[in-house]
Amino acid sequence: MLDVYLAQQIVNGLSIGLVYALMAIGFTLIFGVLNVVNFAHGEVYMIGAFAGLMLITAAAPPLLAVVVIVLTVGAATGVGLERLAFKPFRRFRDEASLRSRAMREATLLSSLAVSIVTREAMRQIFGSSMQTIPQGYLLQHPIRIGVLSITDGDLIIFASSVVMLVALQFLLFRTRTGLSIRAVANSPLGAQFVGIDTDRAIMATFAIGSMLGATAGILVGLYTGTITPQMGFAPGIKAFVAMVMGGLSSIPGAVICALFLGVAESITTEFLASGWQDLVAYAFLIATLVFFPQGLFGVGRERA
Amino acid sequence: MSAASVPERGDHPTLPPAFAKALLALILFVAVPATLSGIGGGYLYQIATTALIFVILAASLNLVTGTAGLLSLGHAGFYGIGAYVAALLSTRLGASFLVTLPAAGAVAGAIGTLVALPTMRLVSIYFAVATLGIGEMIYVTLLNWTDFTRGPMGIRSIPDIEMLGWEPHSPMQQYLVVASVAAVSLWVLSRLTHSYFGNALRAVREDDQCASAMGLNVVHLKIVAFGASCCFAGIAGALLAHTANFISPDQFQFGESINILAMVVVGGLGSLPGAVIGALLLVILPEALRSVGDFRMIAIGSIMFFSILLLPKGLLGEASALSLLRRQFGEAWSGRPGPPVGWR
Amino acid sequence: MSDAPMLEIRNVTRRFQGLTAVDGVTGHVAAHELVGLIGPNGAGKTTLFNLISGFIAPSEGEIRFEGRSLAGMRPHRIARLGIGRTFQNLRILPNMTVFDNVSIGALATFGHSAWQALMPGRRSRSGRISELTGDVLDQVRLSAQAGELAANLSYGRRKYLEIARALATRPKLLILDEPAAGLNESETAELGEFIRGLVRRGLTVLLVEHDMSLVMSICDRVIVLASGAKIADADPASVQRDPAVLDSYLGTRD
Repeated sequence: MLDVYLAQQIVNGLSIGLVYALMAIGFTLIFGVLNVVNFAHGEVYMIGAFAGLMLITAAAPPLLAVVVIVLTVGAATGVGLERLAFKPFRRFRDEASLRSRAMREATLLSSLAVSIVTREAMRQIFGSSMQTIPQGYLLQHPIRIGVLSITDGDLIIFASSVVMLVALQFLLFRTRTGLSIRAVANSPLGAQFVGIDTDRAIMATFAIGSMLGATAGILVGLYTGTITPQMGFAPGIKAFVAMVMGGLSSIPGAVICALFLGVAESITTEFLASGWQDLVAYAFLIATLVFFPQGLFGVGRERA
Repeated sequence: MSAASVPERGDHPTLPPAFAKALLALILFVAVPATLSGIGGGYLYQIATTALIFVILAASLNLVTGTAGLLSLGHAGFYGIGAYVAALLSTRLGASFLVTLPAAGAVAGAIGTLVALPTMRLVSIYFAVATLGIGEMIYVTLLNWTDFTRGPMGIRSIPDIEMLGWEPHSPMQQYLVVASVAAVSLWVLSRLTHSYFGNALRAVREDDQCASAMGLNVVHLKIVAFGASCCFAGIAGALLAHTANFISPDQFQFGESINILAMVVVGGLGSLPGAVIGALLLVILPEALRSVGDFRMIAIGSIMFFSILLLPKGLLGEASALSLLRRQFGEAWSGRPGPPVGWR
Repeated sequence: MSDAPMLEIRNVTRRFQGLTAVDGVTGHVAAHELVGLIGPNGAGKTTLFNLISGFIAPSEGEIRFEGRSLAGMRPHRIARLGIGRTFQNLRILPNMTVFDNVSIGALATFGHSAWQALMPGRRSRSGRISELTGDVLDQVRLSAQAGELAANLSYGRRKYLEIARALATRPKLLILDEPAAGLNESETAELGEFIRGLVRRGLTVLLVEHDMSLVMSICDRVIVLASGAKIADADPASVQRDPAVLDSYLGTRD
């Protein structure tokens, strides 16, 4: 029989894992389409949280309104990020350039630069100490289910994740935008030949991925009660680990690995002093890269 | 498309190579101390020392990220390993600088090589992320292994540079020791970069499959490049420990790795003179613009961004740098008449 | 060992997830021969080249070089054994000088380790690398452009640069992947002469080509692949008359 405490940790881990999953999806989408790592993704998460906080302190709207507005802010941030750090390096229209190594390195460095500037700018504006979410919005009301005690935050994270995943599936497979995204992910040049506007598809990808990331940010903020400008860095890395473990191009794979990572982290906080738990994600990262270069689920990209 | 992509023709007047090298040495060992002492000494020497430490860091990162093309995001981790090795050996065992310096380099290099062995077959982006993870793991370890490293409190009262009973009695003397270490390090790194070994690394960077087909053992070359660069990062760490007399884990975080990367990018990926210029610029400029202070990371991030966007080849791009080394410093092969080609 | 042909391909098959790119091919190249490998697109020629140079491993069969099996060998080991190659899509390094490009080939011949870069003895080793590079550049008549960036070379000259780099590895067997692609008639003829010259001076050459006139005029022997299988292996004249070959290229008459 499962130890109650262990079960509790697993539930907590699943919540964390779902948050990582939302971010991992954003990474995977962007990587699938552009074959680049978006180093600024963690900052989108952070901006979502801060946008939510500012909205709450300014206007105190209902929770749903907060989420909707954060989604919008997230989308806008994503598009802005794409225009700033990715578009200028897509100088030419041929396949060789769209996926070239030079472009990948340049955008890696440029998104890295943007993430640093954003993080530091937010730190200058808000200070590096934690901001707290007003009491009324905290998702920390306990709910008992049998022997387990969870919070309404867990349920909300779960519910909103499910909703967003379903919406994503719908978007990707039942809409024109989704089709164009999948087409560009498959073959950027081919997509151009059949008349798909790759620029807009790429912007849409960033918008969607960033919406998910920003929502993850505000949900975590409401769940834990505190947000800081540095909050995006570690989850960003962990979401990236989940993406890599999942096989780079597989959204379901990324989600499963993110959940796994969240649970693993949650369980290890028991055995390791706090501070060491970040090590878990990094250790998994190295282990995956070394032992499963193809990822656990997908067909990893060889040399692109 | 910047001017840096076209090598200079032979109409630039060049000094005899030996003269050029002597001039550099003169500047480093005579002109700089003379000027600094003249205008105030003290704090200025600290800046100069810091600048030289970062020159070593940037030049070593350039070897692995610029020349060999292996983007490393964990360089600060090895800087930290070197610093802690030097600090612990001197505070706990009373070891002299003559021991701590090579030990720092050796341990950092060994750990780097160990880390590189399993990760070297990864495609470039994966490798970059792996180095990020490794850098973070090093930082977390330094922060939490309090029994060994005293964690966030850091290590204080690290002795000054001590060699066979001699210690520097002034900031200038300390500067001269650091400058000597920097000069030797740069010489070694230059020999590695501006040689046929460097060509091998460049071939691996540009097209490793093709390099393999030409008989180059790609994995071996990458590991050597990575190990060597970590070794020099460790040496820089030892210099930090003995000149600042205090170290703590937060000096060796991801942000610092990015800092060093920015220096290399601004100077020009693959260009050793560029990395030197980038390091000097990004250390001295924030000091000169005193108001920058808090905004340092913002400034660095912005400089890096605009540098990649507007000057993709950096201030002194690789092709120009190689040409410069051949023409001005005589590193070319002299077996045939005509423009300088090959390596000595 | 002296009786074995320089390169032996024994019943080599290579499958990729549902596609059999190379199907039970058996063939050989003897020392000092100039052998051409032809076939319609998708016949498996490039796959065979990649099998020989070690980028991929055969699903079945084995390849032997000078009597030694190449099974399990990594590309750089195979290169050091004496097989040099060029690539169809000209993988020269555009941002390095012509001289540096060719020197890449010479590096493995003489060694290029980090210690050598630092040690005093390096001068002689670097010198030998430099000399070999200079000599090869003379051979392909690119000496005048030695200091130029490879990106500045014309297409035709780049072909010779690619060959020069392979020559710098001092191979015994040189495999050329579509060396004449994109060249006009006179350039192709010049290239043909050059390749024949290499063979006269002791090299063994295996080349893949689409240009029939080149293959038929310079090759001692021609191997024809179609759909992964070998359908002919004889002197040029016989191959040109072989009905199976004509079929695969032109389709059956209607």
